[in-house]
Amino acid sequence: MSGDEATTPSATPKPSATAADSPLKLKTAVEALSSIVPTLSKLTPASLTTSPDLYPQISALLRQPNSGAGDNNLCRWLYDTFQSGVGDLQLLVLRFIPIIAGVYLSRVADRKPQAGFEAVLLAVYAHETTSRAGKPVSITIPDLTQPSVYHEGSVKTSGKGTGTPNSAATEPETAVVSPALEPHGTVRSTRRARIVGVALELFYAKIGQMPVSSKIDFCEFCKVWAGQDGEMYKEFEEGGEKTEEEEEEGKKEEEEEGSDVAVEKKVKVEGRVPLCWELLQPVMRILGHCLLGPNNNKEVELFEKANEACRSLFSRSMHDVNPKAILPMRSLMRLSKTVMPNNDNLDPTELPFSDVISL
Amino acid sequence: MGSTEHGRVSVREFQANGSRMAASEVEAKLDQGNIQEAEDSLREGLSLNFEEARALLGKLEYQRGNVEGALRVFDGIDLQAAIQRLQSSFSEKPPGKKGHAHTESASGSQHAASLVLEAIYLKAKSLQKLGKFIEAANNCKRILDSVEKIFYQGIPNIQVDNKLQEIVSHAVELLPELWKQAGCYDEAISAYRRALLSQWNLDNDYCGRIQKSFVMFLLYSGVEASPPSLAVQIEGSYVPKNNLEEAILLLMVLLRKFSLGKMKWDPSVMEHLTFALSICSQTSTLAKQIEELMPGVYHRIDCWNSLAFCYSGAGQNDCALSLLRKSLHKHERPNDLTSLLLAARICSSDPHLAAEGVIYAQRAVNNARDQDEHLKGVALRMLGLCLGKQSKVASSDSERSRLHSKALESLVAAIKLEPNNSDLIFELAVHYAQHRNLSAALRSARNFFNQTGGSMLKSWRLLALILSAQQRFSEAEVVTDAALDQTARWEQGPLLRLKAKLKISQSRPMDAIETYRFLLALVQAQKKSFGSSQISSKVLDDKINEFDIWHGLANLYASLSRWKDAEICVLFEGRGENDEALLATINGILLEPNHVPCKILMGGMIQRLGPKFFCAARSALSDALRIEPTNRMAWHCLGLLNKQDGRISEAADCFQAAYMLEESDPIESFSSIL
Repeated sequence: MSGDEATTPSATPKPSATAADSPLKLKTAVEALSSIVPTLSKLTPASLTTSPDLYPQISALLRQPNSGAGDNNLCRWLYDTFQSGVGDLQLLVLRFIPIIAGVYLSRVADRKPQAGFEAVLLAVYAHETTSRAGKPVSITIPDLTQPSVYHEGSVKTSGKGTGTPNSAATEPETAVVSPALEPHGTVRSTRRARIVGVALELFYAKIGQMPVSSKIDFCEFCKVWAGQDGEMYKEFEEGGEKTEEEEEEGKKEEEEEGSDVAVEKKVKVEGRVPLCWELLQPVMRILGHCLLGPNNNKEVELFEKANEACRSLFSRSMHDVNPKAILPMRSLMRLSKTVMPNNDNLDPTELPFSDVISL
Repeated sequence: MGSTEHGRVSVREFQANGSRMAASEVEAKLDQGNIQEAEDSLREGLSLNFEEARALLGKLEYQRGNVEGALRVFDGIDLQAAIQRLQSSFSEKPPGKKGHAHTESASGSQHAASLVLEAIYLKAKSLQKLGKFIEAANNCKRILDSVEKIFYQGIPNIQVDNKLQEIVSHAVELLPELWKQAGCYDEAISAYRRALLSQWNLDNDYCGRIQKSFVMFLLYSGVEASPPSLAVQIEGSYVPKNNLEEAILLLMVLLRKFSLGKMKWDPSVMEHLTFALSICSQTSTLAKQIEELMPGVYHRIDCWNSLAFCYSGAGQNDCALSLLRKSLHKHERPNDLTSLLLAARICSSDPHLAAEGVIYAQRAVNNARDQDEHLKGVALRMLGLCLGKQSKVASSDSERSRLHSKALESLVAAIKLEPNNSDLIFELAVHYAQHRNLSAALRSARNFFNQTGGSMLKSWRLLALILSAQQRFSEAEVVTDAALDQTARWEQGPLLRLKAKLKISQSRPMDAIETYRFLLALVQAQKKSFGSSQISSKVLDDKINEFDIWHGLANLYASLSRWKDAEICVLFEGRGENDEALLATINGILLEPNHVPCKILMGGMIQRLGPKFFCAARSALSDALRIEPTNRMAWHCLGLLNKQDGRISEAADCFQAAYMLEESDPIESFSSIL
């Protein structure tokens, strides 16, 4: 366990770079990258963030057996690039957070040295720690007895809602979405999940700017982390009346009964991780985006992978008998059904068609 | 839609100014590309003006699915000029006044308005279908801009005819969709806000759909929307500050509308709310929302089950269990696997509920069939846990050992089905350890440690304890030190306590005292900062009981006293900690009646008060042994008591038991981590 700890030379990231030196930093990043990955030597500062070759090539390298070691040049590059403080470059590094987190967590059990990955994750974590300034991320739970921009002062006489003793008595409830961050200079094993979780939180915060391939990788790692096959939930139905289905499933089950069940399980085992809330919460938010985000009907592959991930994680939450995970995962599964591409919902913005065309 | 149902196309007809006209002739002309001719025949046949004819033609093309054709037709109309004409015709009249003289001209210009706006709307829809989203959005926006200019005080309820209102409502709903499809998310957010916060006189269906669509955008787009502008904020009203707040607010508003009968039930609203509130760990708020729903929305059993999950998620397991009891009643849904598993899990944490849990778990095992076969291992695991807990309150030795071995049996059966379930591996390790099968325990504990990569504090503690039970104290200390190294300061409490005890076991009492001091300082510091939100909730779970430390110290002094009575007296009195130790012990018993070490200590202390109190001491010690029959200390003390009481042979038995147990005694009870 010990021995492969990464240390961050400067735990506090530099203040965001000024516009003046970012072209220089872009150039440095491109040059450094082309010396590490010769096949990417054609990149220019202008094409760095848009090149379609970049993601597949770097992610292939990150998946190599010793990719996360402390002396790994690519990790070094990712670390330096993130630390440059240039927004575009940081976004570029964030694209690889799913794959780094995924490979990293699933290798923890192998006790491989992963100081390279840890350095990148710590840099991202430190960035978030600084920008959150010791404060937790929290929200106020709305209370309908109070009027809001979207509704009037509820059942009570409107306008005087604030005056009524009842509404004044109820204190708004605060919910912590992400607790305050303590600075960490190394990845202590008991804080590993939190550090990775926070990196995923930042990935989620920028997810609108992340490429689809990165999200697809994320979904695949979700399945690995879950370590649980979720295909039995493909025909997800609930409730008491499942008698017909039971019969049907019975047939299916006979096929599955064969010896390959155990074999399959053994293959899937690699990479199952403890899914504590610190990790699970950002994972579910990202997954929610992959399943239900705008325009996801255009990304068929992402939608499918996200659905698979969702089923696996639901299955895992059932195996953990974890109500905090079962509730949101079940809702995601139900919701994804409503946005299935073949689910022909009527388009409410269509004007009614009629045979009589009139003014 | 109707046309597709009965046959095809040819039934279409035009209707205007009281006349009708079959569409087939016009369609034929359009098919030949003669828009002009088509227009002419329409104007003649129905006495229409140019714009009216074009509008009808566009509509026809659109309905025929020929959106390109529709666009060509609409391009012939100068919509911009038409809009300007509209605006001037409306502004001629003083707004708000509705004298009879104006009614006719108002309805006339409204008719013209709806004609033009519908044309623009269909143009936007056509562009949308061609994938030209930005252009479509700009057209759609023109509708809203002009409507806003015409009705600058909001759309009045009574004055607008249905047709115009319908087009406006459609446009309001379409605009954010178009921006979304165009990938212009900031524009989409403003369009949503504009739709929901301006006066469009939308009916509940439109409003509800737009709200729901905005909720989805807020929850899943990953684009952080800035809070609504100050302009729309009313003093004293709640203004959401971020996406989650706004989404939750809207969902609650939607549920409220449903409850008031203003909206049709939409199950997805509840699913979104479940997701949103679960994400911020507010399942108790979710429970409130479910409870407020009208009866009949969900089947009562589904409702109980959902509530049980909410309460359990919020840590209110008592509530959850009483709901599950209802839903698992034999007249309800007694074999629902998910509820059975949750009920068993809740019961497994309390010895007094464990017997009930065994019933649920057994039923779960029996029902893990077919599609749910994969949960059989989980059911067995719950069974094992419940049996293990039940053994704690067994009334007799034989009962206890029977339950214990049944528990182990279940867990072993479970692990065959769930070989990768790390939680299960851990539980198995603890059970082995409690059985004093230390080598199996160590194997499992190592396995757990490796699988979780040392990320769980309890994996370190269990390893150290098992090693200590094997009398490998120095190894145990190495593990403890490594664990301290891997743990943030706030969470070091249990490890420091362990370390202190290891020092004692290695006969280094002064080191132990030093460690205890360190631990006390930590606890004091923790106390100070618990008020602030500095520390994560995880720390609170691991919070070490201050009393535990005092008890440890007292124990330490007490054990020292057996070796060097004189010296320890000085130590006690000199530091004035004697009282505190004693007080803490008695307090401890009052607080935690089943705390075994306290009972033993108490027994020892009472015994020292003199022979009169031997009986009380004996009862304290027997009590301790009932709870934890493998407690070496208890046997040892009971031996001492018997010896002092003159029951020599009984004393010998006790000492022998203590000796045998010493060989495999951990420094803290194994059950302390489960």
